[in-house]
Amino acid sequence: MRKFLIILSLFFVVFGIVFTALPLGTIAFLPVGLAIAATSLLIFISKPEQRKLPKWILLAGILTLLSIMGKVVFIQDKVETDKQFEQQKVDSKKQDVKDLEGL
Amino acid sequence: MIMVSCELHTTLKNNYYRMKRYLAVFVAVLIAGVCFSQIKSNEKLTYAASYNMSGLMTQLAQVTMQTEIVNTSKKSFLHLSLEAATFSKWDKFFKIRDLYEAYVDPVTLKSSLYKRNINEGGYIKNEKYIFEPDGSINSTTRHKDGRETKKSFKIGSSTQDAVSIVYKLRTIDFSKFKPGQTTSFVMVFDEKEYPIFIKYMGLETVSAGNLGKKQCYKISISAKTDKLKGVDKNLIWLTADSNKIPALVRFSIAVGTGQLTLTHASED
Repeated sequence: MRKFLIILSLFFVVFGIVFTALPLGTIAFLPVGLAIAATSLLIFISKPEQRKLPKWILLAGILTLLSIMGKVVFIQDKVETDKQFEQQKVDSKKQDVKDLEGL
Repeated sequence: MIMVSCELHTTLKNNYYRMKRYLAVFVAVLIAGVCFSQIKSNEKLTYAASYNMSGLMTQLAQVTMQTEIVNTSKKSFLHLSLEAATFSKWDKFFKIRDLYEAYVDPVTLKSSLYKRNINEGGYIKNEKYIFEPDGSINSTTRHKDGRETKKSFKIGSSTQDAVSIVYKLRTIDFSKFKPGQTTSFVMVFDEKEYPIFIKYMGLETVSAGNLGKKQCYKISISAKTDKLKGVDKNLIWLTADSNKIPALVRFSIAVGTGQLTLTHASED
């Protein structure tokens, strides 16, 4: 059971870090939340002398959680100006006026 | 005396017709003013579109709704545009650049031209409907491979396009509605007509971006189509004032659920 929880915690922490690095926004909360839950359970069932590794995994999970929260709060979402799309809109509007003249 | 009386009568008659003309112009201006007070030109509404991913609302795109007056040599049109663009961080994974447009009568919001240009992760489709005065639509659809299909079909006199129907909804006086009261529209989409049912659900206070917290009319939208899912799952909150700005939109479609939250509303 303990080994299974160690593998599970590590798996979710790694996933959380990958999701945080990628621009996946709040989705990264999911693996990190599961990692923290699994690690907390791991610490609970471990003997005091076996808690060194779970504590490191928990620390990694909490740091990842803080970085996701930082990204959500401080990095503002923005739309990149698409020159091709903007030009399409200008050309399209000229055609629209021609079409409307015919009505 | 008779001559004077006759002249007076003619003058009075002329004044009556002139007054009638002025009255007609006054009423027309008033109607136009009322409509413009609801759908103003140069209005810009910006929304953050979120999609439910594994139970978490994730912001994906920015949706912008804009209005402006476009003049031709014969008349003026109100140009309504709805643009959806993914935030730059998503562009590498799934880039969306959708543009829905409608040119409508500024007073009646009757459609004259409707366009749908979608580019969703490489899936491209361009659609154009020209609303002819005889009640028919000439549609042109251009696909990614360059294939072009043309079709002509009849529609009802009150049928709206997919963009102008949002603005038409904003012209309804919901202050006179009772919770549960319904009304309906007919919308043309994908070359088919769909009845759209509108149900007033009451008043609720929601966050409306830079406008702060606003009391809103909560409206449920349903249609006889499998594109919209669930009962009262497609909702729109319109500010309970003369502007009736959509402050929040929640949708439930075949591929999932999501919402649009107003981030900024402005008038130039």
